[in-house]
Amino acid sequence: MDRQAYESYLKTTHRLGRLVSVVTLVLLVGAPFAIGLILGTAPDLGAVARGFLSVGLVWTISSVVEFLVYTPMLGAGGSYLAFITGNLINMKIPCAVNAKELTGAKSGTAENEVISTLSIATSSLVTILVLALGVALMIPLQPVLESPVLAPAFDNVVPALFGAMAWKYYRKSPILALIPLGVMTVLFTLVPSLTGSTSMMIIPSGAIAIGLSYLAYRRGNRGADRR
Amino acid sequence: MSVIQQLNGGGIYLICGLIVAFIAAVCIVFLVRAWRIGKALGMDTVKMKRAVTSSATFSVLPSVGILLGVLALSGSLGVPWPWLRLSVIGALHYETQVADAAAEQLGISLSAGEMTTQAFPTIALLMSVCIIWGMVLSALFNRKYTDRLRSDGPARGEKAGKQGGFGDQAMSAMFIGMVSAYLGSYLGGLISGNGLFTFTGSWTPLAVALAAALAMAVFTWLSERKGMAWLESFSIAGSMLIGMLAAVLIGH
Repeated sequence: MDRQAYESYLKTTHRLGRLVSVVTLVLLVGAPFAIGLILGTAPDLGAVARGFLSVGLVWTISSVVEFLVYTPMLGAGGSYLAFITGNLINMKIPCAVNAKELTGAKSGTAENEVISTLSIATSSLVTILVLALGVALMIPLQPVLESPVLAPAFDNVVPALFGAMAWKYYRKSPILALIPLGVMTVLFTLVPSLTGSTSMMIIPSGAIAIGLSYLAYRRGNRGADRR
Repeated sequence: MSVIQQLNGGGIYLICGLIVAFIAAVCIVFLVRAWRIGKALGMDTVKMKRAVTSSATFSVLPSVGILLGVLALSGSLGVPWPWLRLSVIGALHYETQVADAAAEQLGISLSAGEMTTQAFPTIALLMSVCIIWGMVLSALFNRKYTDRLRSDGPARGEKAGKQGGFGDQAMSAMFIGMVSAYLGSYLGGLISGNGLFTFTGSWTPLAVALAAALAMAVFTWLSERKGMAWLESFSIAGSMLIGMLAAVLIGH
């Protein structure tokens, strides 16, 4: 492996990643002010502050967790791109993990860095393209996309995604999968209102799965040491 | 001119379009750089092509779902702003919740009838501010964090191999946890969705997940046992499509 080239690549990735993150930040926060100028008004900063206190704090905590959990999966380039382009849980993360599985890349390696960046960049470009085409064709497409026949299909994209992913991951460790699934089912059954916070429940469910996986890993290592 | 017509004006399309174009250019730069370094490191180009094609096919269906999100929000926020938000940084569940909270602070509801040109920039700013933190953390700490996690870094020695081994298992476990949270919510919804232990909640998400899982099992069997490895790249998207088809059949 050409380590020098890879180190130089990573250095430039970080420099570029930081630069585009800051530019995107300025563009996204600046856009409402620019739109306000066109509309002859400006954002009400007091209302923004009050709104932030009511919902923003939850999303801030969620962002910290997402950063800590997903950055190791995605590597440097992939995570800069993923946090800029969004749609992490419903698309970017499963997409990158799928690409990683298909190519056999291991977390924390140069191969994972490359595969993950290729995957996130491609996925983002596809979304941008589909949305741009969709917006351009919005008027003729509207009846098809909003047709009541197709409505249940698009209402169930997330269950379809997680069903497919369940087969992929549960078959690797069915026993490990049964415990978090059982705990989550009991929780959602006893407290049905939790359904509105399913994304937050990923944290305890993930913690249970990681804890069990660590125990199995330690047991495996001890067994190997004894042999 | 109505508020929605103003929100669909050329000037707003231009602002949003330029930002989307900038992000698309960033993606292309990252894609090309990753491809080049992959080749320089001697990685198999077939593997890299596979990562690109599987990611492209994987992303088409969810992107159509996201497009529907643009449609859903366009009624109250116009087309260009939801297009920008969902192309670039957002996610539908987030955008809807935050836009609604911002509208609530302004004493209106999120609907075309109540939207005003004064309210819109405030709603748009709150949508921007609430979800920037992942990007901020990434800009500030990505380098330190990813350097610590590298299994091929010079600072890590022999122990790194072992830790990297658990790192991979931890990621799979995190995914199992994520899938379990969603499947648990579908099961809980069926059992107690309309009252504790009434078993009268919606079974559609569960049936869709089951159909997609069965389709995935067939795709896996074909690709692993029948020598149809090329199917692997389409297995997730194909399984999702079959799951969504099940939703249409159940809906009728």
